[in-house]
Amino acid sequence: MSTGQIILSFLAGLLPLALLAYGLGRRRALTVAGGQDRALHSRPGFYGWYAVVLMAAPAVALALLAALLELLGLIDAPETLILAAALALAAGGLWTAERTIQPGLRARNIVEGAVRWLLITAASVSILTTLGILLSILLEAMRFFQMVNIWEFLTGTTWSPDTAFLGGAGRGGEGQAEAEFGSVPLFAGTFMITAIAMAVAVPIGLLSAIFLSEYAPLRVRGAVKPALEVLAGIPTVVYGFFAAITVAPLVVDVATALGLEASYQNALTPGIVMGIMIIPFISSLSDDVISAIPMRMREGSFALGATPSETIKHILLPAALPGIVSAFILGVSRALGETMIVVMAAGLRPNLTANPLESMTTVTVRIVDALTGDQEFSSPETLSAFALGLVLFLITLVLNTVALIIVRRFQQQYE
Amino acid sequence: MAANLQAEKRIRQRYRREQRFKALCIGAITLAILFIFVFFADIIQRGYTAFYQAQIQVEVTYDERSLEIPAAAVSEEVRPLVSRGFLRQVPGHVQSDPDLKGRTVTRWVTADTGVNQYLKDAHTGLSPQEKATVDKLHEAGRIEFAFNTNFFTRGDSKMPEMAGIKSAVVGTILTLAVTMAVAFPLGLMSAVYLEEFATDNRFTRFIEVNINNLAAVPSILYGLLGLAIFINFLGVPRSSALAGGLTLALMTLPIIIISTRAALRAVPDSIREGAFGVGASRLQMVTHHVLPLSLPGILTGSIIGMAQAMGETAPLLLVGMMAFIPSAPDGVTEPATVLPAQIFTWASMPQRAFDELTAAGILVLLAVLLTLNATAVLLRKRFERRW
Amino acid sequence: MRTWHKLSLAAATAAATATALAEPADAREQLRLVGSSTVYPFASYVVEEFGATTQYPTPVIESTGSGGGLKLFCAGDGTDTPDITNASRPIKVSEYDRCQDNGVDNITQAVIGSDGIVLANTANAQRFELTLEQITRAVAAEVPQNGELVENPNEYWDDIDSSLPHNEILIYGPPTTSGTRDAFEGMVMEAASEEMGYDGAYTKIRQDGAYVPAGENDNLIVEKLVQNTEALGIFGYSFLAENRDRIQATRINGVEPTPETIAAGDYPVSRSLYFYIKNGHAGKVPGLYDYVELFLSEKMIGDMGYLKDEGLIPLPAGRREQIRQSVLNQEQLTRLEVKTLNQ
Repeated sequence: MSTGQIILSFLAGLLPLALLAYGLGRRRALTVAGGQDRALHSRPGFYGWYAVVLMAAPAVALALLAALLELLGLIDAPETLILAAALALAAGGLWTAERTIQPGLRARNIVEGAVRWLLITAASVSILTTLGILLSILLEAMRFFQMVNIWEFLTGTTWSPDTAFLGGAGRGGEGQAEAEFGSVPLFAGTFMITAIAMAVAVPIGLLSAIFLSEYAPLRVRGAVKPALEVLAGIPTVVYGFFAAITVAPLVVDVATALGLEASYQNALTPGIVMGIMIIPFISSLSDDVISAIPMRMREGSFALGATPSETIKHILLPAALPGIVSAFILGVSRALGETMIVVMAAGLRPNLTANPLESMTTVTVRIVDALTGDQEFSSPETLSAFALGLVLFLITLVLNTVALIIVRRFQQQYE
Repeated sequence: MAANLQAEKRIRQRYRREQRFKALCIGAITLAILFIFVFFADIIQRGYTAFYQAQIQVEVTYDERSLEIPAAAVSEEVRPLVSRGFLRQVPGHVQSDPDLKGRTVTRWVTADTGVNQYLKDAHTGLSPQEKATVDKLHEAGRIEFAFNTNFFTRGDSKMPEMAGIKSAVVGTILTLAVTMAVAFPLGLMSAVYLEEFATDNRFTRFIEVNINNLAAVPSILYGLLGLAIFINFLGVPRSSALAGGLTLALMTLPIIIISTRAALRAVPDSIREGAFGVGASRLQMVTHHVLPLSLPGILTGSIIGMAQAMGETAPLLLVGMMAFIPSAPDGVTEPATVLPAQIFTWASMPQRAFDELTAAGILVLLAVLLTLNATAVLLRKRFERRW
Repeated sequence: MRTWHKLSLAAATAAATATALAEPADAREQLRLVGSSTVYPFASYVVEEFGATTQYPTPVIESTGSGGGLKLFCAGDGTDTPDITNASRPIKVSEYDRCQDNGVDNITQAVIGSDGIVLANTANAQRFELTLEQITRAVAAEVPQNGELVENPNEYWDDIDSSLPHNEILIYGPPTTSGTRDAFEGMVMEAASEEMGYDGAYTKIRQDGAYVPAGENDNLIVEKLVQNTEALGIFGYSFLAENRDRIQATRINGVEPTPETIAAGDYPVSRSLYFYIKNGHAGKVPGLYDYVELFLSEKMIGDMGYLKDEGLIPLPAGRREQIRQSVLNQEQLTRLEVKTLNQ
């Protein structure tokens, strides 16, 4: 039997057992209470659940333990045997539950406790996810750093994995130049595109937020705000298509008209489109903080004779600044990690330049390219994706923490 | 007097500044709105042509020879104009209906992509002679446009006129089913624990910080996780809806937790105190009172999380869901693709006929996503309760 | 009792769903194919046709590269290994030995046709005429000069050879991860490097901007070529066929790429494409040889075959017939044949 079938037969066996356990437990409780549920400590249903818990918990625990040990290669028991053992354990648990049900049994407390543990387990999944991301990236990145010096990776200015690819394709040989993995051009491209995106998103997003919260009549606000949020709901692959098919030729045409030479995969195109994607992000977060400033601050300013724009510039923006800065930082971290737009519209050429009209590549493009290509998984070029992912993860982690600290420390609290 | 004049001048200046600033704000928002219009106009203009398709009326001869070489079923003149996707079915027609054998039937069939492109004024590979034939047949009413059913009833194909979104749609449904089956209960339970059960201690605070961080981790890193953990370690089949769904589930989890917590927090404490007052346990309080009251909010958050998962592509590329899937998958362990991945695949196809298909796929995806988001908004409006 | 009812209903539904989702037992029903990204477009065409015209389910195909495909293929004889691997080069002796060691001792080799790579510029400009050595001098990171390797100094084509035009060297080509790049490096640079005075096979491409890796959307490269009349692009032959109205192919070593010159091997940037069949799976996985028969049929790889439109260059008719015969007889590939193939 395949693993999938084992899991399914386990569940298929457990479900009827659970039903049976609930029914039996409930009936048993009513029987021992002589049909009078007032004699019981808990409601009859709890005795049903008590039976379910006693039946399922050991079986599930055994199954999970066995699966874990097997995955780690510590044991090698036939899966059917584990399945049979788990189901037998379940039957045993059910029998124990039947035996222990008494009118005085505190079934409710036991079930509450079990549910509490279930909930804690569920909440821990998020920790496991973080651990999983960190571990999976870290382990493979380590393998990469065994082949490539970490210092060279961080400070090298040439990214040229050609020869690594040949090794993967089975054509590696003597006399070839060494592959070089200097990630600086990739990060330069990433930061360049992010900078362009923020240059588009921040003014438009912030001014839109100011308009919505300070100037717009309620009806306009009600219509415009959801429209802006439509921008946030557009999938990035769609933005990517739009950038590559519509915006890129436009940028090239404009550049040519201005007498400049632009590559079709210039950094400006994904930057602009990514900026548009981030507008609703900046605008709705800024709108929230500006709207949260109490009315009396505006009224105080108006009473002194300030115009609305003066109130905004001198009173509201300084008060909202921490929130706006954290929105900005979150926007940056989103732009750094954005993938599809750059995969479709940015270039593949690692290029260290300050000219946004040239083609350049980014970290996320390299990750996708390395992992969807033809190389063997253990080739340095494939593994380099994990090293790049690790750096990206650390950068976004730092950015998020900074944003959080800013909000915690500097956000004004109004009662 | 002079002071007065100067003050008046300054006031006018300040009002002008006020006007300028307001105009700037209006300009910014107009730009954003304008972009939305340009964007939709552009995609619609590129994609709407894919919803109709050229059809050609031909005489199909079901004789011995055409069973051997299906191309011989139609006359030489129109052969290059008929889709190969139809011709390859000719032996199949006879197999399913033996009466056809030896007969000649006149029927409308899908035309080759060249015809389609030519009639839509796009680039075509047809020779001038073939173009003349198309013009002639078009005037005679033997080539006409019809609704492109292939687009909705077929999977991916190497032939643009035969390519459709069906397998991608099925793949999307399977993937999202896995995603929601994992993320919804886990997210709900985590949120209930954090809001209703947990005491404020280090562990709880750690989980909270952790969830906020996860919500901001770039989606592509979830792809690395899925590749390393689900595929390489747990042995989940590559490109399967299971692998993609699990990856997306982990990505959606923080979104669902955060929105569910907000919904739970909106239920006032008086409800909880009332429940405790009549002797309910914590579990009873949650399941009988708080959850039913916060359900609309929870569903809204989950729908928004699902919409986000539906439009996500990057992590799925890494778990191999950019595959060529001509027929829809039957189960979650079979290779599958999803709509955004299909769009990406088509966008990188060399044949130009795939451009309109890409845009049409985008239109379908956007329609579904906007519907989902609108449902969420309506749900919130309809059931939102102010305490 | 109401909860009881609801619960049993829910459980029954869940159990039914679980059963419905359960996979069929060990035996695989679908064929599994892996291998070269160059063969992938052709094989996926056949896969689609196979699924549409036979009662068998559509095979599962994955692009893993020739080396990766043979590695998976030779991993063992069980049904969890692929049935067929596609390759853009013949199997190597070392790979063949690995196959034998892992119990994959009966494999059959099929040649499906040829593949060519073209250099093209816009049809509005003058046609280029180059030799393999000139191309290598234009794209290599380092070139031999007076017996030692120096960083490529060539900026204009006439820096390489005064008979070439004074055009800037600007070549749009596939990125490092593409099969076309692999092929280009092997058939152009490697082929030319030995006579040019490199120390063995040299395949490193320059990074100073003269060679621009351009990936996903090849149509954009065409746009660029049309606009910049000095630029060249590197494509698979099929892409040239699709865009003949806008771009023209460079003659290489005096030969223009046409189906005839590529099939005959006169055009230097061409190679044969293969796939390998695991005969041990012939009885176990349904439809294996039906798929092979379809792939090798005239309507696929013949002179008028569908794959020709996809860019495959057919073999001469006699050779096709001969291959069909030997493959459908499941002729076993021997170590000696592998050795001669690799010479």
